[in-house]
Amino acid sequence: MSANPPSAEPPVDPHVDDPAVAEPRTAAGEDPTRGPALGAPQDSAPRNGAPQDIASQDIDEPPAGTSFLAYFGRKLGGAAISMLMVILLGFFAFRILPGDPVAKIARERPMTAEQVAALRAEYGLDQPLLVQFWDYLTGIFTGDMGESYVYQQSVSSLIAQYAWPTLLLTGTAAIIAIVLGLWMGQLAAWKRNSLFDKATTGTSLILWSVPTFWLALILLMVFGGTLQWLPTGGMVSPGVEPGTFAYVIDVAEHLILPVITMVAVIYAQYLLVMRASLLEEMSADYLTTARAKGLNEDGVRRKHAVPNALLPTVTLVFMHIGGLIAGAVTVETVFSWPGLGKLTYEAISGPDLPLLQGTFVVFSAAIIVMNLIADLLYRQLDPRVRRA
Amino acid sequence: MQEIVFDDVTIRYSSNTRRGEIAAVRGVSLTVPAGGTLGIAGESGSGKSTLILSLLRLLPSNATLTGTVLVGGRDLGELNFGELRALRWSDASIVFQGALHSLNPVRTVGRQILEALELHVKDGWRTKEERTARMHELLAQVDLSADKAKAYPHELSGGQKQRVMIAMALACEPHVIIADEPTTALDVIVQRQVLQVLQRLVADRGITLLMISHDLSVLAEVCERLAIMKDGEIVEIGDSAVVCADPEEAYTRQLAEAFPTIGDRHSRLNPVTRNPARIAPAAGTGTAGAEASAGAGSGAGAGAEAGTGAEADTGSAAEVGASPGTAAGAGAAEFTMTDEVVLEAKNLNVSFSARGRHVRAVRDVDLALHRGEILAVVGQSGCGKTTLARSLLGLQETDPGSEIRFRGKPLSRRPKDLRAFRKEVQMILQDPSGSLNPKLSVYESVAEGLRVQHFTGDERARVIEALTNTEMTPAEDYLESIPQELSGGQRQRVVIAGALALDPEVLIADEPVASLDASVRGEILSLILELRRRLGLTALVITHDLGLAWNIADTVAVMYEGRIVERGPVEDVLLDPQHEYTRTLLGAVPSFRLDRVSE
Amino acid sequence: MSTVLSPRAVAFNRRKAAAGRAWKMFLQDPAGVFGAVVLVIVSLIAILAPVIADRSMLDVTQQLDQPRYAPPSAEHLLGTDNYGRELWVRMVWGARVSLLVGLAATAMSMIIGTIMGMAAGHFTGFLGGLIMRIIDFFLVLPSLLLAIVLSSVLDRGVWTIVLAIGITSWAGTARVVRAQTLSAESRLYIERARVLGAGHWHIIVKHLFPAVLPLVMANTTLTVGTAIIAESTLAFLGLGDTTQQSWGTILKNAMDVSAATSGYWWYILTPGVAIVIVVLAFTLVGRAFESIANPTLRSR
Repeated sequence: MSANPPSAEPPVDPHVDDPAVAEPRTAAGEDPTRGPALGAPQDSAPRNGAPQDIASQDIDEPPAGTSFLAYFGRKLGGAAISMLMVILLGFFAFRILPGDPVAKIARERPMTAEQVAALRAEYGLDQPLLVQFWDYLTGIFTGDMGESYVYQQSVSSLIAQYAWPTLLLTGTAAIIAIVLGLWMGQLAAWKRNSLFDKATTGTSLILWSVPTFWLALILLMVFGGTLQWLPTGGMVSPGVEPGTFAYVIDVAEHLILPVITMVAVIYAQYLLVMRASLLEEMSADYLTTARAKGLNEDGVRRKHAVPNALLPTVTLVFMHIGGLIAGAVTVETVFSWPGLGKLTYEAISGPDLPLLQGTFVVFSAAIIVMNLIADLLYRQLDPRVRRA
Repeated sequence: MQEIVFDDVTIRYSSNTRRGEIAAVRGVSLTVPAGGTLGIAGESGSGKSTLILSLLRLLPSNATLTGTVLVGGRDLGELNFGELRALRWSDASIVFQGALHSLNPVRTVGRQILEALELHVKDGWRTKEERTARMHELLAQVDLSADKAKAYPHELSGGQKQRVMIAMALACEPHVIIADEPTTALDVIVQRQVLQVLQRLVADRGITLLMISHDLSVLAEVCERLAIMKDGEIVEIGDSAVVCADPEEAYTRQLAEAFPTIGDRHSRLNPVTRNPARIAPAAGTGTAGAEASAGAGSGAGAGAEAGTGAEADTGSAAEVGASPGTAAGAGAAEFTMTDEVVLEAKNLNVSFSARGRHVRAVRDVDLALHRGEILAVVGQSGCGKTTLARSLLGLQETDPGSEIRFRGKPLSRRPKDLRAFRKEVQMILQDPSGSLNPKLSVYESVAEGLRVQHFTGDERARVIEALTNTEMTPAEDYLESIPQELSGGQRQRVVIAGALALDPEVLIADEPVASLDASVRGEILSLILELRRRLGLTALVITHDLGLAWNIADTVAVMYEGRIVERGPVEDVLLDPQHEYTRTLLGAVPSFRLDRVSE
Repeated sequence: MSTVLSPRAVAFNRRKAAAGRAWKMFLQDPAGVFGAVVLVIVSLIAILAPVIADRSMLDVTQQLDQPRYAPPSAEHLLGTDNYGRELWVRMVWGARVSLLVGLAATAMSMIIGTIMGMAAGHFTGFLGGLIMRIIDFFLVLPSLLLAIVLSSVLDRGVWTIVLAIGITSWAGTARVVRAQTLSAESRLYIERARVLGAGHWHIIVKHLFPAVLPLVMANTTLTVGTAIIAESTLAFLGLGDTTQQSWGTILKNAMDVSAATSGYWWYILTPGVAIVIVVLAFTLVGRAFESIANPTLRSR
């Protein structure tokens, strides 16, 4: 029986070590029940109907799923725990780790003992740890994240001021990258081993290996420097009136290079993920059913294969959303885009620890919220999760 | 008129591995008349699935077909793709194994049925409303309520999914339905339900049916004619009753006999085996025992007593209700069931929560296993039998108040005691392919238990002895093999050898032959019988297959919804069932087995 | 065929045969072989750096008579930098630090990831749930940001970079390992081992670890690439060790002198291309390993 050609018989290939393990089909955090027993789950379906008239009833009616509220509650709880961990990390990373922040600042710029003491008092580092933590905690919930050392301005107001440009940049880049990546990924998988597939996969692998900031530098050099086609930095040219049509055009021009950089690096990942999950789906039995029904190849792909392949992809796409943040930091730095990424860079070079702590907490919180949304979206996409 | 014609069809797969081209189907010629029903039986790898996929030209692109395939008089090879798509489903449709993954998991089943209707719009369903109405009507025809249209496949049970597949196949009023293992992986009772639905609908509409299965009895129940396929060729074809009852080919006979007839004296405690060494002693076992107390007056086996003439020459009656003297009297060489209780469960309850629901898998079970006894626990999947086996082995937490005793002592939960206990009580799991680590050689797999138990003797000698006991001889030849180099039956032997290496007192076997080909089934079952006879092994066999109990067990316990509803000697329970559920189970066994007894 | 082989020899033969099969499959993947060749060459350059170019060629004070910002020519193969140092010398020495950081950070990330992933997959109940939460947390956390935080708070140095990358990049590995462990855990042979009386240690060492090992190895090569990029990014953001040559540091220097807008294209192009080639090589090798380790991926 080992001489089976592919798909000639039901796949009983005993020596296949591990089918489909790289990416579990269920959403992140959803495990196959391993609960108390391996044999338990299939032994658990309640039966109804007396044995006497078995044929007239559904003897094996499976149980109904859980409610949206229970699912939402669980995911919200998970997100809350993650949020708490970010807050804790934001506190301890800046206080407990061996490098005392003030000592570090003192080493990098000449300071007198009084200045050091004043700085300690300013950061509240002379207080007991518990008091510091309480101050930090109440601060976070009241929107007070301390004073920036470099800007001499409150961290929360700085973040509020710089958040919109980042949202504009990452949002635009993410939408383009997702659409482009998923669309090309499914096409590449469907035309596996074609020239198109080889070209797109090859390009993606190369782009995946490119450091974002370097690509930004190259684009800056070519289009901003040599060719002088596009502005080299900032978000708006000086002197353009906000709110006018010219303003919109100007911002869009500034946006082009940073967005291209981010899209190039991120879409490659999405393309590879989509391609892999569609390839995995392409041998599925229900596609044979769809073909048998008389659907043409295009319909099989669009109506059956892609919707299924999208599921694991969505999970991974959202999981990689942290990559957007990393991209934002470097791209904004290179193109002097006035966003949170550039703020982070300035906080590093300060070093401006309250500001760094603020951007860290805000970025992480954004990611956690995005993932929560992803989980809820996933439940809408995959009916199987609704049962879990 | 011939609805389906295969004329000298050969299908080859080109493969870029070292094996080169493989012919999955070789020179098959078959015809099915309009309205006729033909079943094709074969084991895995026989090429039957490939053959039927060629009917709608659904073969993968690396397959090449020679010969001609005609459906409704049209040569499939000459249709262009558009014509082919029009033919698919509206002229001929397929019932796939819906229990598996043949339905799209993210679309409601209603939409999937509608899709077929939308692709092949005919007079009855021109408008959207008409299509929806037809979809609901189709669901009703397979005994599914209209609200199931909104269900996703994972929300349906295996039997329900299979019925959805049937409804979908009927959607466009095809002339031909092809059924691909439509009841595999379903329980006997659900299987019966699905078969009845299929049979009724096909007969009512005069549809031509081509059905394939590995199970001869399933085909015999539905089809007028049967073809037996082996290694890509048709080896025998004929009227169902004739093929089943009086096959010409040895291979057919082997398939037909693999599943015993309950009530057939010849197969009692005597599974089909080609191992010559075992045929004689197995038949002789019965001589030591008492006569069966088969005072059957009613039930499925009523005709059996009267009809079978085989009982005299085999004399293979069970040691039912063995007297205390049996063990001593049987002599040193042969072991049979005794009165001594080895493993005992009292008031056993198991419940757990799975995915937020509270499940009582095992309820108030009392069970005693005697030394040398082979006890079969029979029930549908989901009845709690596997959980029962696991808890007997201490693999599963039991509820407070439950009691498990081994040799009279309560089972301790301390890891050290459990390890010692598992040296005495061993278990064989459902699927031998999965039970062996694919990376470990036979030697390592068999020796694993010895190492875990810190065995201090000669490990190699013990491994060879265990393999020899399971008839893997010469054992040395197998030591270095890895599981993928072994057949399914050999793998199961290695698993059994791994258990035997520990020299256990009790062997618990969970569906020991369910995942094996029919021709191997008898070999493994007779091995278990042989081990009892020679080594005095006590066994608890978990199965959904009543025939298996008839084949090897002394006693049987029927389990339903976590409870043991009936138990006793095999002859008593199977030939004169008292509980309603036992009767239902017996009634669901495909009928030709019972017919054969009465002939 | 074998009557006197000891159990150890049986196991050894089996492993040798398996390794041989894997090697043959690897050789059939041209992209993977290409990557491997590139890696061998780059590793040799890194190891032989002192032989290829004397360390003194990096010393700024000894390059006073050299032209600054010389574009690539026969005399200055890859051009010179703002101190007149030969760029190719910096590249050769930079390969050492970049590879070392990449490998060390990966080793750290793999060890944490494998342990956490296997623990999350094997243990049920509270412990498994807790580990799962931690993995999930690190998975969604923007790793570069955490690495930035760590390297700004800790003392500057190569090992800080290694630590920062290692601690923040293990979650992806843990996720893959956990999935693989879960899949192995659901296999009947694990249950069979339990039936035979085995405890956690036996199951983890004998069954789970061998099952996840090929995937871990494939992941290792993929992660080295990511770690090299992360190192260059941290260096670029000014968090690297300025006293050490690495490709990231060279790019940082280029950025500091506004090479992009001043037309010193070679100063930016060379280190970047080197990073891309090495990371691509690691990626290609990793993908080849991955498809050997996981047969379902073989179609891609």
